[in-house]
Amino acid sequence: MVLLAPYAMAQSPPPFPAESYSGPNTAQGGQSSPEMWRDIRRGKSGTVVFPRPEGGVLIQSAGETWRLRHDTTVAYGGGLLLAVLGVAGSYLLVRGRIPIKGGRTGRVIPRFSLVQRIVHWFAAVLFVLLAVTGLLLLFGRYLLPPIIGQHAFALAASASIEAHNLFGPLFIPAVVALCVTFVRGNGYRGVDFTWLLKGGGFFGGHASSLKYNFGEKSWFWWSVVMGLVLSASGMALLLPSVIGDRSVVQLANLAHAIAALLFIAFAIGHIYLGTIGMEGALEGMTRGTVDENWAKEHHDLWWAEHKTSATADIRRAEVAAAERGDRAVWEAQR
Amino acid sequence: MTAMEFIEGPVWYAASAIFVLGIAWRIAAIFMIGRARDLSVSRRSPIVGAAKAVLLHSVPHGGNLGRTVYHFVTGYLFHIGLFALLLFAAPHVAFINAGIVALPWPAMPHWAFIIAAEAAFAGLILLYVRRLTDPVTRQLSDVDDHVGVWLTFVAMLTGCLALQEAHAGLRMLHMLSVEALMIYFPFSRLTHAFTFLLARVNTGAALGRRGFTP
Amino acid sequence: MTSAASAIADAPARSINVQAAVDKFNALTNAHIASYLDACVHCGQCAQACHFHEVTRDPRRVPAMKLAPITKVYRRHKAPFAGLRRTLGLAPELSRKDLEEWEELIFDSCTMCGRCTVVCPMAIDIASVVALSRQAFVAAGLGPPDLLQAADNARDRGSPLGVTREVLKDRVEWLADEHETEIRLDKPKADVLLLISSIELMKYPRSVVAMAKLLNHAGVDWTLSSRGYESTNFGFLAGKPDVARTLIARITEAAEALGARTVIVPECGHAFGVLRWSGANILGRPLPYEVRHITEFLAQHKRDGRLRFKPIDTSMTYHDPCQISRRGGATADARYLLDGVASDFREMTPTGNYNWCCGGGGGVQALGRAAEVRHEVFRIKMRQVSETGAAMMVSACSNCRLTMDESKAALGWDGELESLVELLAVHLDDTASSAPRPAR
Repeated sequence: MVLLAPYAMAQSPPPFPAESYSGPNTAQGGQSSPEMWRDIRRGKSGTVVFPRPEGGVLIQSAGETWRLRHDTTVAYGGGLLLAVLGVAGSYLLVRGRIPIKGGRTGRVIPRFSLVQRIVHWFAAVLFVLLAVTGLLLLFGRYLLPPIIGQHAFALAASASIEAHNLFGPLFIPAVVALCVTFVRGNGYRGVDFTWLLKGGGFFGGHASSLKYNFGEKSWFWWSVVMGLVLSASGMALLLPSVIGDRSVVQLANLAHAIAALLFIAFAIGHIYLGTIGMEGALEGMTRGTVDENWAKEHHDLWWAEHKTSATADIRRAEVAAAERGDRAVWEAQR
Repeated sequence: MTAMEFIEGPVWYAASAIFVLGIAWRIAAIFMIGRARDLSVSRRSPIVGAAKAVLLHSVPHGGNLGRTVYHFVTGYLFHIGLFALLLFAAPHVAFINAGIVALPWPAMPHWAFIIAAEAAFAGLILLYVRRLTDPVTRQLSDVDDHVGVWLTFVAMLTGCLALQEAHAGLRMLHMLSVEALMIYFPFSRLTHAFTFLLARVNTGAALGRRGFTP
Repeated sequence: MTSAASAIADAPARSINVQAAVDKFNALTNAHIASYLDACVHCGQCAQACHFHEVTRDPRRVPAMKLAPITKVYRRHKAPFAGLRRTLGLAPELSRKDLEEWEELIFDSCTMCGRCTVVCPMAIDIASVVALSRQAFVAAGLGPPDLLQAADNARDRGSPLGVTREVLKDRVEWLADEHETEIRLDKPKADVLLLISSIELMKYPRSVVAMAKLLNHAGVDWTLSSRGYESTNFGFLAGKPDVARTLIARITEAAEALGARTVIVPECGHAFGVLRWSGANILGRPLPYEVRHITEFLAQHKRDGRLRFKPIDTSMTYHDPCQISRRGGATADARYLLDGVASDFREMTPTGNYNWCCGGGGGVQALGRAAEVRHEVFRIKMRQVSETGAAMMVSACSNCRLTMDESKAALGWDGELESLVELLAVHLDDTASSAPRPAR
């Protein structure tokens, strides 16, 4: 319509000469209509020349409510992430890195297959790219301008939105693949609740566990659920014109932010334990094998089932892991 | 001279020169090593063999599709995506038209850019993640393999970050990373983009003349 | 560690001349080889094609690893920007440790079957690089003693298995008597010079009889020559170019003395590959005769109507020797010979130009320490054959045959192995005239 304006003006002169009328140049002239404005404020749809979804709505009041919820999410979400970082940091300071208590045996057990590791790292790379750009978009406007200035922030935000929109859709197949390749062994069992009651052994004592403990299983299901929520809401945000309904998009926006924050909060714990927090954990996902003592100390029930496949021939174990994950022992028994 | 002018001016010309001359030298130097004439009596035409090898080795053949399907799919995702971006992305078309040569083709639409970029990133990440985890490729990889992937990734990433075309800073970042890639290119394994043809032609000719192009 | 690797490690310290290897690598790196070394992107797909990787799953046995020693030398000395790399300290020199670590890969873990080239997106011919790498390793004083001994035997005694001229004469006389077949030796002039492989003469002598019978029947003017009879070239396989040259020179002198226009290579894949495709290059001049594999030669005579065979009902499959089919270009000839003869012929999957190697080519058959892994490779063949359901596996390479026979015994396989030439000789249709049919 903006484009048409100069055209319209060129075609017809204003209906009233300026000197004879000074009110708004509309059909109602100088009269004010409180009812009409109230309706507009409540989001009533009027008639427009070019009809399109919500095209007749002048003021979209739900936006106010969304803004409020959004700000609340940002505040609580920020608090949540700081809290998780704080907990991980304090644990590291107080109790230090969790060592392999019995030391390394030099014997390893195959744990994750090549397919699982590829899927994991594909999802992980995308996760990091999306988390960094997403957090910048969510918190950046509050935190960054004072530090790096408005201009640099605008640049970072522009870069982030493009990257986020680009990598987002790739995360959907990654989540689905993650779900498919890791679902085996992630169903809850009685032993998981014992593990939970013992605090996972994080504060002393030993908590028995199968291939995955309660925390890891929860992380798996958490990732799947949050991943799916992020996927669905993300697509709604990426293609709002397909969704059409603004209220759905607003809901998607909030769901996206909340799911992302919850996902990232858990991920901080996962990444912490997978890297600096625990000796011997990362190699399961890089080389595909874990040291036998690590298995014994953290996944004793899994170790008991797989100790026959423990070997000092590391190269061979890595090949076995790549091809069959931890299923080698099962196939040998069959 | 502003930083942007510097990066799009002297640095760009220097990087282009290193890229073009480096690759030209690399290929010329291989030819200059020379080779004795094959004195055996050929059974079939080496030229046909060479042509066959060039085409055949673009796809899995000989019943090996199942065994190499991962590299086939991810490899093509990456390479097709990358070349679509390189040659058809609107800013690239504009850049080439403005400074190098008027391209006879139009730029691709935004949605096509996104799909190409996603294919390229998915392919590159999947190939690299396998390189890091597969015992076979871990055994083979050296520093050059990693540097090449990272430079390519960063060049692609900065390009996509600058997609709004609203910030000179992002454009500068992309130009810089591309220039770094171009300077590194001739000295690295990235030249397989050109030498693949030499290798295929040589094998196709040498073995094709024996009667079978593998 | 594999048994072969530990055998190498346990061997007494050897004097290794690294510089000799470097010089040899440099001398042998031509533009073809350079293009290969410049094109490899370390994708690792070649592992999927290699029988040694297939059965050991050892990541070190990925064919591309075998390019490493020569690539190291190339990057420091001959490659574009080698000077720049040297100046910056980015191109270390080949080390003694490299040579020791790679010896097993270059000799024990490659039959030069060329299967990896098929899956290579760059089409790198790793087999040819391995062949020249062996020369560098041997120049440095490395290489499996049994393989090197086989080459020296060939040079000093005429054959890797000790078939001297006298042994040849005795064996031929005995075979001719035993099988009542005319085996021509040292005719002064002949159109065709037939070579034998000492594996055949010592272990599969019926094969020699079979060839004689078929050639006699086809009315070929042929002879064996005690001046040059050994077809195998262990000089080539063992990385000893001087021996390789001597052996080819012997054959060439014999053929020239006879005035032979054709030299027939018997059932031996590498013998054919070396003489047919490398012979002239090793000798430094075009060969003054045509080199044909026995299957090619017989196929030609079947085509011309000089040879006819009685049908064979036993179900059978054909194992393609790599150097005759994939790298020799004669894939169709064996099948043409069996066409209309084998009434129940079944192809393996994969087959023909893409067939799996027997595991003993490239001299690996001669390495005692590689026996275990060869047997493992044979399991691929066992599986392939059993999938066809064929009762018999026929081949046209006595080296494949020996490799597979040994593995067959070691693994207790009950399938039947047969030589194509022997099978055809037994089923020769004697009733048919040997007179040439009018040319088609």
